[in-house]
Amino acid sequence: MSTIAPAANGASWAPVDGVAATLADRRARPGGRLYAAVRWGGAALFAGVFALLIFVLLHESSSAFAHMGITILWRGWNPAKNQYGAGVFAVGTLLTTLVALVIAVPIGLGTATFLAELAPRWVAAPCTVLVEFLAAVPSIVVGLWGLIVLTPLFARHVEPFLKDVPVLGALFHGPPLGASILLAGVVLAIMILPTIVALSRVAMSGVALADREAGMALAATRWQVARRVVLPGARRGIRAAVTLAMGRALGEAIAVAMVVGNNTAFPHSLLAPGATLGSAIVNSFSEANPGTLEKSGVVALVVVLLGISVLVNAGGQILLRARKGAPPPRGPVEEILAVTGPAS
Amino acid sequence: MTDTTLSLEGTPPATVAAGHRELVRDGVQRRLGRRRRVGNVATSLCAAALCVSLVPLIALVAYVVSRGLPALSVGFLVHTPTPEGIPGNGIGNAIVGTLVIVAIAMAMAVPVGLATALFVVERPGTLSTALRFGADVLTGAPSIAIGVFAYATFVIAFGYSGLAGSFALAVLMLPIMLRADEEAMATVPDDLWEAGLALGSRRARVVRSVVLRSAVPGIVTGNLLAMARAIGETAPLIFTIFGSQFYAFRPTSPMAAMPLTIYTNATQPYADAQRTAWGTALVLMVLVVMLSVGARAVAAHLNRKAR
Repeated sequence: MSTIAPAANGASWAPVDGVAATLADRRARPGGRLYAAVRWGGAALFAGVFALLIFVLLHESSSAFAHMGITILWRGWNPAKNQYGAGVFAVGTLLTTLVALVIAVPIGLGTATFLAELAPRWVAAPCTVLVEFLAAVPSIVVGLWGLIVLTPLFARHVEPFLKDVPVLGALFHGPPLGASILLAGVVLAIMILPTIVALSRVAMSGVALADREAGMALAATRWQVARRVVLPGARRGIRAAVTLAMGRALGEAIAVAMVVGNNTAFPHSLLAPGATLGSAIVNSFSEANPGTLEKSGVVALVVVLLGISVLVNAGGQILLRARKGAPPPRGPVEEILAVTGPAS
Repeated sequence: MTDTTLSLEGTPPATVAAGHRELVRDGVQRRLGRRRRVGNVATSLCAAALCVSLVPLIALVAYVVSRGLPALSVGFLVHTPTPEGIPGNGIGNAIVGTLVIVAIAMAMAVPVGLATALFVVERPGTLSTALRFGADVLTGAPSIAIGVFAYATFVIAFGYSGLAGSFALAVLMLPIMLRADEEAMATVPDDLWEAGLALGSRRARVVRSVVLRSAVPGIVTGNLLAMARAIGETAPLIFTIFGSQFYAFRPTSPMAAMPLTIYTNATQPYADAQRTAWGTALVLMVLVVMLSVGARAVAAHLNRKAR
């Protein structure tokens, strides 16, 4: 049995020790069957859970789908009339997500550009840390704050003010109740803002220094470098950030249920209390008795929501893949790790 | 402003050059002035965006701290909930519940995530691509969907229990862990694999002694971050653990958890309930932030040790 000489500088380097250990262990025990079993077992469990998830949700919702047919996609929700459509909730989901994106994307990108390119270091460094920690605030806490602080604020000040704005006021008719599609959108915007800022900042700081220097050498101002060099260079990362944020806004259930007003009628105004797929699931799931058509209808809402979020994610992946010869797209997880991981 | 139509005929070449230089300089200066003004306006707009995004976020955290701190006491952290209006309210059972549920979820998800990641790393192919795709779909899946899934598989069969909540959180964390583990293992240089294999050792030995050892910082960070995400989730727990007013250590019984405590208390009109909600929100927030700071610190420490 031989031993490996220590590294030249005398330092112990864990993987090299490991190589030495492999020598010592060489053919000490028979067969690698256990390791293969572990790998295959892990993969089988993972695939099994995934398949079970799809199967169970489809199975539980099958009677509602059979009852409603394709009309489930646009009909309303009315258990008294045995009508379990996802249409109104889907509209609510899309509206709240749209409001959230309209608010959070411009503000988030402006903030990220400022932090990555324009701000002096003494401003950028603490603000970056702050924003990244805010990305870790649980959504239930944002929902709680929205319910207790923002609801009265919106009912008394923000919504009456918006109704008086010319032209735009048309979007905001009806009584200012506080809890509304609009408020849910704002709460979602606050929830996804740190995600957008943190991820697009990482994408922007990934643009090569040489590209920036090329811009500077052409006498571009700082802003021109940011606008013409950094933003186009970071486009894929920014798209990934927005896709991930949109996915979260679509799927958030609890925080939205606390502020959206939970009304099953079609929302004709942004000030109207409404419901999203997520909030409707939260509210109707416990009400419905097991084994009834209503329960199956709620699970059908889950399937529709899952379908929408998979479509959005797949759409995002395709968008990211659009350019030829570009490196493979980073999935949502890599993006999450990029923000919170030590590398950033 | 200079006359832009400069007649060149009859002027000596040196003067033409000077005239051109002047023209160019004037033009450049005029345009530079405009470019600077545009840049200043845009920079101010971006600075304004920073202010706009920081205001609600700081207001949120400040509000949680200011409403949560008065609720905090040692009693609050160890007692169980009391009926409305009776002092001595606490969330001890919810803290224990969260810790037990998350610990069991980790015990379920970490080994499966690691084993699956090894499969994906060792056997690139259709099955691995499908597993990765599944992980991406699951990561993007709304957590409420996972809650309903856990209800339909676990709760219908065995009733409400902490274990059902752990299962839901494990399903939530699994795809994140798989991708994080895979990413960490992919950074191990091929040379190290080959060095190990060239010595004639079995793959299991190479993986255990070489690959896992150098991927450990990434694996630990990724798993801790997945845990930090899961600990604040309400949606997977709301249909699974049912909630409880008492200390429950048996995972097969209904349990309490902090996010659920916030949710149920926030939607009640009593002042005491809202105090509890804010206090719990503060404890939960501190726990999550500590976990993400801890994940970075552990990663930094392990990285230093490995070098």
